Amino acid sequence: MAKQLGMVIDANACIDCKGCMVACKVANQVPGDNWRNWIKDGAMDRSAKSKKRMVFQPGNCMQCDKPTCVTACPTGATYKSKADGVVMINRDLCIGCGQCIKACPYGARYRNEKLKVADKCDFCSNRREVGLEPACVSTCPTKARAFGDLNDPSSPAGKLYAAQKEEAVQVVNAQSDTDPNIYYLGAPGDKHWPVKAQMPSAFTFWKNVADPGVKVLMGLMGVGVLAMLGKQLVMKNDAPEEHHGEDGHE
Amino acid sequence: MADSYRPALSRRGFLKLAGAAGAAAALGGGGLSASKPAQAAGGLRPGFESKFTVCDMCFNKCSAIARVQGGVVQKLDPNPKFLKSRGMLCARGNAGVEQVYSRDRLKYPLLRVGERGEGKFKRISWDEALDIAAEKMKSIGERYTRCGFMFMAGSDMQSSFVHRFAEAYGSYNTLSHESMCLIAGTRAFLDTFGEVPIPDMLYTKYVVMVGANRFESLVTPDSIDLMTAMNNGAKLVVLDPRYTKTAAKADEWFAIRPRTDMAFMLALAHVLIKEKLYDRKFVGEKTYGIEQLAKHVEPCTPQWASEQCDIPAEDIARIARELAKAAPAAMVYPGRRSSNYTDSTQIRRSYAIVNALLGNWDRPGGLTAARKVGLSGGVPFEPPFYENNPEDRIDAGRAKLMFPEEGSFKLARDAVIAGKPYPVKGWFTYHTNPMQTAANRQKTIKMINDMEFMISMDIQMSDTAWMADLVLPSQTYLERQDPCTAQQGSSACACVVMRDPVVAPLYESKPVFWVMQQIARRIGLGEHFDFTIEQFREKQLSGLQGAMDALKRDGVYYNPSKLYGVYEGKIYKTKSHKIELFNSRYAEMGLDPMPVYTPPKAGGYDRFRLVVGRNAVITQSSSQNNSLLVKFQPTNHLWIHPDPAKEMGIKDGDWVWVKGPHGKQRLQAKVTHQTRPDTVYMATGFGVLSTGLKNIYGEGACIAEVLNDDFDGISGNMAMHETWVSVGREAA
Amino acid sequence: MLKRILMVLLVLSFIGVGLGVSLAADGKGNSRKGKYLYRKNCRTCHVENGKAKELSPVSKTQAQWKTTFADPKKLPCAGEWAKLSDKDLTDIYAYLWGHAKDSPSPAKCK
Repeated sequence: MAKQLGMVIDANACIDCKGCMVACKVANQVPGDNWRNWIKDGAMDRSAKSKKRMVFQPGNCMQCDKPTCVTACPTGATYKSKADGVVMINRDLCIGCGQCIKACPYGARYRNEKLKVADKCDFCSNRREVGLEPACVSTCPTKARAFGDLNDPSSPAGKLYAAQKEEAVQVVNAQSDTDPNIYYLGAPGDKHWPVKAQMPSAFTFWKNVADPGVKVLMGLMGVGVLAMLGKQLVMKNDAPEEHHGEDGHE
Repeated sequence: MADSYRPALSRRGFLKLAGAAGAAAALGGGGLSASKPAQAAGGLRPGFESKFTVCDMCFNKCSAIARVQGGVVQKLDPNPKFLKSRGMLCARGNAGVEQVYSRDRLKYPLLRVGERGEGKFKRISWDEALDIAAEKMKSIGERYTRCGFMFMAGSDMQSSFVHRFAEAYGSYNTLSHESMCLIAGTRAFLDTFGEVPIPDMLYTKYVVMVGANRFESLVTPDSIDLMTAMNNGAKLVVLDPRYTKTAAKADEWFAIRPRTDMAFMLALAHVLIKEKLYDRKFVGEKTYGIEQLAKHVEPCTPQWASEQCDIPAEDIARIARELAKAAPAAMVYPGRRSSNYTDSTQIRRSYAIVNALLGNWDRPGGLTAARKVGLSGGVPFEPPFYENNPEDRIDAGRAKLMFPEEGSFKLARDAVIAGKPYPVKGWFTYHTNPMQTAANRQKTIKMINDMEFMISMDIQMSDTAWMADLVLPSQTYLERQDPCTAQQGSSACACVVMRDPVVAPLYESKPVFWVMQQIARRIGLGEHFDFTIEQFREKQLSGLQGAMDALKRDGVYYNPSKLYGVYEGKIYKTKSHKIELFNSRYAEMGLDPMPVYTPPKAGGYDRFRLVVGRNAVITQSSSQNNSLLVKFQPTNHLWIHPDPAKEMGIKDGDWVWVKGPHGKQRLQAKVTHQTRPDTVYMATGFGVLSTGLKNIYGEGACIAEVLNDDFDGISGNMAMHETWVSVGREAA
Repeated sequence: MLKRILMVLLVLSFIGVGLGVSLAADGKGNSRKGKYLYRKNCRTCHVENGKAKELSPVSKTQAQWKTTFADPKKLPCAGEWAKLSDKDLTDIYAYLWGHAKDSPSPAKCK
């Protein structure tokens, strides 16, 4: 079976310590006020007796099977990796148009303040390449996040998925069901936050007609190249910057 | 509502991942970037180095792994072999990189040129700085005796060298942060069980948590083990005037009226004794004073406590029964910070007494004894004796049972200002920030102004450094070599960690060990620092075969030992050699041998009790100004309940003033049900004076400016929850 | 070793009575001076891997220190004790007793 990296998250175990958020920010050099992951608050239960434990719901890009962001991308910079099912962004092709950001029902994407391109969680591809777990997974105090190939019952996430299939749920907006690959166990917390994906009207034609493969080709040959040129002309400061800024390590 | 959960079972595409969109996109994208991981523009690249370190963002000292590339710390990861942290690294631990690369690092020694606290300094060389420090220590020591110079070091792996220096120099006046944190609790458990217990959180079935916030104020392994225990079915009952994250995760939360914890505990004891639910065998064999206790708690009915605590009587009785049912794998969590009230030692004694009744001592899921890891004391030394020194510490006798090494910051400060019983005119601080953490900032300023010379060593210009005459730049924990340190942690085992530098030190920063050594040489005390850190470690590890190898291989050394039943056949280290429900030493000293409850005064809308605390992204002030962590907490707010807020016309986000007996601060209000109507809260670490803390300067309010400096009469611990404040909306 | 024992015996025979320090007032000596004197006079042997058993204040209870000091003649190092003044012994006692295992402030390190 094809590999599909995903997470099975026990939101009950999350104590909202922000460890995953700082770990991610450092590991992926996420600048300024940009974040690749989040923790959603629950509602306060003020009753003392038979109180429900508040659920903090950790999340990040859901690496969807039907990613609206991929559909929305005019250049083919965003794609779903065949190797592991992770939705990736080719920064060289991204023109920073922002369509994918609006197309994500989860708000998982942002425009990287420094690189001026779309950015999001890729399950720490840089760390996985050198044999490390995604930063949020390894750092989590209560080990709320299980990560791995959902189709491989020997991986931490696959094992949990296989064992708790009846309990695990996805958080989806019914109007934009992207078939996410993050599952929540037990009480997953707030479920009303995903929004309807905003698809770019200009590209509706492509979405309905063109084969995605053709789209990529078109993106590269036509719009993409032009856009890249435009981007380089108009935008400055799109080179990757050193990690720790100004007077960091002299 | 369109939004919903969808059960995994109904997931359509799961088993056929390579559907149309997926396959085609993969073909395109994958084809374009086959040779290149498209997104991985930054971060680690192959060839990085992994080096063990020990986190220094709080007192927990978790083992961690620094990923270093090109001489730069790229990332800090948890050490999975470090059982005490259960292989985790929290937000602060992850933000540790910023301690090194902060734009606000102190870069070279600075000498004050303006008025104290004016922030005018000039750069000087290390030689000059050390000469000045040595000269001042010498001259103050000669004119006021060696006890005329005071030393204060925070929770740091090199702090013992500051204390060593003080001893060689001849000053009894050493202080730590502990008298603003935990010594009342330490006192209470020492005076009940004869030692400070390690809660066996992992295997507990029932936890009553009062005066502790373990899911925000993280303590390893307690915080993590508590969640594991809860996942395994343990019940958590939280009593806190605030709805903390611990309260949020609890099975039951009671917004207890502040300063009434003891009434609740005495009522638990009442029910346990009255209904004969306590462990009678254990209490009969191992404790002292059950008859006196029974008599003492006779009037402390749940009904009585209910009126004090604002907790229904039937809940108090039920919790007592539930605790007894789960015992001995049940506990009243001892907690850590106990710098709350003027009778905090007695309050924590009441926690200890309930634990004793549950018979949970030395048993799974209860309170366990500290275990020795076998670390030796390092390079021995024989400090000289200075015959002209006064007899004792400057704060001696100001609290009944003060710890002679920690002393009491509050009482020492009073004594210095009074100049009695003798003058103290010099102060050396390292890695500690009483200007932020000690109640009554004006008094701290007064004390400093009464000093002839103050030296402060830190990694950034803390408010304490800001007041100093000589400021010395310290290396961060990632840049230096430190001695070994032993750690405890319930079933996580006793262990040893140590630090080696993971990157070269930046600027002219130096370790405090080197500074102490250099000053010692200049004033004829060089022989006491005539060793290297390596030699010191060798001595420390001399009794532990293979420890250094383990430290180098795993970043941690364990010395497994018996966890439960270690007290079988042994005496308890109290006066009666039993667990003292009735404290015979207190009785002799004229203290209440049993915790005696006194009701708090009533508050009102013009009069709130101010409580202080922290969360998982701030450690008082030691992690303050960290550019990664201020993202989560850029400032502090005054938490105020909607009822008084409405009455006073305060809306969420409004600017308010908060006024204590000595000072006034302004900050924005957070109108929330997360605090009681009679209690306001603000976090520690803001309202700074130092402009050298660029990420937080001008933000929020300082607790130290508003809090009155009350203290616990037995331990000398600062009492930080005794202050009544008035609050008002700022005129627009 | 034999020489040392002989030496001790010899010294013992000289001092005879009068060694038991008057310690009615528990801990009334100067504990800080006592720590210094203890390190100077006792730690020379009573250290890890030393000539005598390693000792620190927490090695004994307050009652045990009292017993030790009430009748030091039995101790192998009684000869060493004889070299110390009553004042010094009172100070050392104040330190050891004051930081004993079951004292309110048990010593943390040696």
